[in-house]
Amino acid sequence: MSKTAKDASPNPHKWRLTRRRFLIGMGAGAATLAVGAAIGVPIALPRIRQGINQMFILGEGDMPAPSTPDSPLVWFEIGEDNMTHLYVPKIEMGQGIHTTMAQIAAEELELDWNQIVVHQADMMRGFEGGTMMTFGSLSTLLLYQPIRETAATMREMLREEAARQLGTTTNEIVAKENMCSLQSDSAQQLTYGQIVSNKQGEWIIPETPPALKSIDEFTKIGQPLQRVDFHEKITGRAVYGFDARMPNTLYGAIARPPRYGARLQRAAAGTAEEQPGVVAVVIEDGFAGVVAERRMQAYMALRSLELEWVGGSELNQDELEQIVTVGRGGVVTQNEGSVSQNLGNTPISAEYRTPLAAHAHLEPQAATVDVQADQVMAYISTQIPNMARDEIAAALNREPEQINILPTYLGGGFGRKAGHDVGVEAARLSAAVGQPVHVGWDRAEDMRYGYMRQPTHHVFQASLDEQGNVLAFEHQVASGDIGFAFEGGFPGGAFGKWLVGADPFAGFGSLVTYDNIPNRRVVYHRAQIPVPTGYWRGLGLFPNTFAMESFVDEVAHAAGADPLEFRLRHLSTSNELSKRFRAVLQAAADQAGWDTPPPEGRARGIASSLNAGTVATQIAEVSVTDGKIRVHRVTCAIDPGLVINPDGARAQVEGSIIMGLSSTLYERATINNGMIQTANFSNYPLISMRDTPEIDVVFIDGSDEPIGGMGEPAIGPIAAAVGNAVFALTGERLRELPLTLTGQSTSSETGSLM
Amino acid sequence: MQLRINGQTYDVDVPSSELLLWTLRDDLGLIGTKFGCGIGYCGACTVHVDGEATRACMTLVSNVEGKEIRTIEGLATIDESDAEILHPVQQAFIDEQVPQCSWCMSGQMMTAAAFLEQNTGPSEEEIVEAMAENYCRCGCYVRIKAAVIRAAKTMAEEVEHEQNS
Repeated sequence: MSKTAKDASPNPHKWRLTRRRFLIGMGAGAATLAVGAAIGVPIALPRIRQGINQMFILGEGDMPAPSTPDSPLVWFEIGEDNMTHLYVPKIEMGQGIHTTMAQIAAEELELDWNQIVVHQADMMRGFEGGTMMTFGSLSTLLLYQPIRETAATMREMLREEAARQLGTTTNEIVAKENMCSLQSDSAQQLTYGQIVSNKQGEWIIPETPPALKSIDEFTKIGQPLQRVDFHEKITGRAVYGFDARMPNTLYGAIARPPRYGARLQRAAAGTAEEQPGVVAVVIEDGFAGVVAERRMQAYMALRSLELEWVGGSELNQDELEQIVTVGRGGVVTQNEGSVSQNLGNTPISAEYRTPLAAHAHLEPQAATVDVQADQVMAYISTQIPNMARDEIAAALNREPEQINILPTYLGGGFGRKAGHDVGVEAARLSAAVGQPVHVGWDRAEDMRYGYMRQPTHHVFQASLDEQGNVLAFEHQVASGDIGFAFEGGFPGGAFGKWLVGADPFAGFGSLVTYDNIPNRRVVYHRAQIPVPTGYWRGLGLFPNTFAMESFVDEVAHAAGADPLEFRLRHLSTSNELSKRFRAVLQAAADQAGWDTPPPEGRARGIASSLNAGTVATQIAEVSVTDGKIRVHRVTCAIDPGLVINPDGARAQVEGSIIMGLSSTLYERATINNGMIQTANFSNYPLISMRDTPEIDVVFIDGSDEPIGGMGEPAIGPIAAAVGNAVFALTGERLRELPLTLTGQSTSSETGSLM
Repeated sequence: MQLRINGQTYDVDVPSSELLLWTLRDDLGLIGTKFGCGIGYCGACTVHVDGEATRACMTLVSNVEGKEIRTIEGLATIDESDAEILHPVQQAFIDEQVPQCSWCMSGQMMTAAAFLEQNTGPSEEEIVEAMAENYCRCGCYVRIKAAVIRAAKTMAEEVEHEQNS
């Protein structure tokens, strides 16, 4: 059944802050050991800053510092029943982060994997919204160390208390699998639950930091442990934003403009109020919606509203592409050597283009919100709970502290669930009727009224020296907005001022990372289009890497070089990042058998990318039959540093490749008369099992800590790897997504409009 | 009207135009059946009606009165000691560590279960064709395929075991 208000009843934990900036539980009814890491735990702050700086590589100056209230970053409780409850702030949207966090905690706290319950942290339990932000493949990077320190601290407290209870010294106590036992006599043992139960007086956080395990002592980190959320998901019990209800929940539907930017000039209820089940028609400034007893009744009654929309865009697809075209000016985001003096008179040049694309997360945007006089409760599918809170507060003219966001499981996020229009809509309708209201977008709403992946256009020029090495390389990119689209809405609120003219998010993947090229320049051109655009898995990574790594391949062929050898020779052996690139290139080539010919009728293509600190190379093996591209096999070598759960990490690589292949082969959203035409899977098809290749994943060993993310990086190289393979096979260079051989049409042009 | 769902009888009072999907989810709290597209393309809402995989988003409640409906909540069985016995398809989806976000997985498993209950020992190609109309945006297709192949083996062995005993 649905989560109910009972689960969400105000039950904040009580704690006090200790000298080492840990939080220790106070005044709990039953005996528990409860410890959290405060946000301001000294090691966490530089880590967060490092992570944020990695995100904003193009920016100047410092990001606004995160606030450091005494609220938990993580919170762990061990009860008399020997169960450990782990409250983790990051949102589970399929990336397996709840399992990852539990594995890290279980390692240092020496937990029995079957005695763990992982909970989604929320504001009702005192978590600051900012700690729950789940984006940029940063969760493990940010929380690896704080979780270890918290867990190890609790382990030491348990050992010390066990020693007291067993009448010995702490160094005689071994902690393992929820048990403290005597080193000399393992029959003398106490479960964690017994230790907690026997404890007299208050727990004290030790003054000295605990020793952390070295990687060769790990028994859980690095193991393919089973996901903690599978049983409830496999049996249909898991609750997502589209599922969560409160008692007496009503259903809302919202009137949508026929064109982007159109304004609701006049609205009247018409006969909507007389329609079956309708509870209220809500017409406010620029907003019209219906609340009904049933979902279908709300959507049906929408049709009876009398609405007059004025203005807005009348843009067509060809006009959109004209706007998204490299022109004069632009902002230089990379400049090494002198490109203009070294391009020569006959540079190699090419243009690339990528389209608007939908997130198409299968759970559309959804929220259930209850607006009451003293507080607001909101179940919402969100990646960024603090932004959801602030947006709902602003819409209702309330203080943010009155808004409780209860994050749910997400049925896919991919960046789209960093937007919260649906929460605001449900809140406005609930405020009007004084009852909880659920709003769950239908597919057409989701494909048209969310934000989309930004369209891009790329112009490249390169010159070669007499040895066939690249002398100068220029990338000019025109892109729709990501960061600019959210001006003022991101951490600290001062985001707009911090941007320097080039959108740092849209710039992901746009820089020339081959450091042996002496003259390199990248110029960013902002393209402002009426279609909302924003975060899509990897941000600029997917479109930029397609263009960049396809053109690198063109230059390699112009130089008469092998595409792998050409890449390796343009990466230095001195630079740390270049060394990592060389390692993934070589590992992928070895695994895929680059030096051996592919099976008859097939060819291979190679491409690499860097994102969220992780480097990856992919090699695609393709064939073409009757103009249709078939990808048989993809080999991916990837280096995120220490991998917490290799099976989960492999799943992220597989998923990224398949989602990327969907965009490579099929996806293209088009606009006509100011509105996206592609409104459902009938004219915006996704990849299916038929087109799924074999996927082979190789992780690079050798790091003793995580150095990069896993959720997004592997979506980077796939489109170029496939395009480069198609060129190797057919001699035709495909410079636009989705990849379409001459004489073939894209699916979105032939599909029917629903 | 009365609906037979997962072996139980439910009295429901819904408009004649109501779809099975919203009745399951919003009236009966059977939230395991998911909404994805509303036009029968993605398969997230797949349930069984008299053993046939059926898209609940395109099925009028009035058309399934008196029929045996099975949802993901009824795929596992309960044994004499009240323990939950997962369906071989569910067990295979866990064994192959298939789901990511899992929003599509009820539909994937219901499609697979209906297919395998009607087809013993299918080929890999037949499995791909049977599963090709269920979308997974997280891109779990490699593992879904492996899990359905695994479940097919398990179910074939069970059939053999029953025939031998």
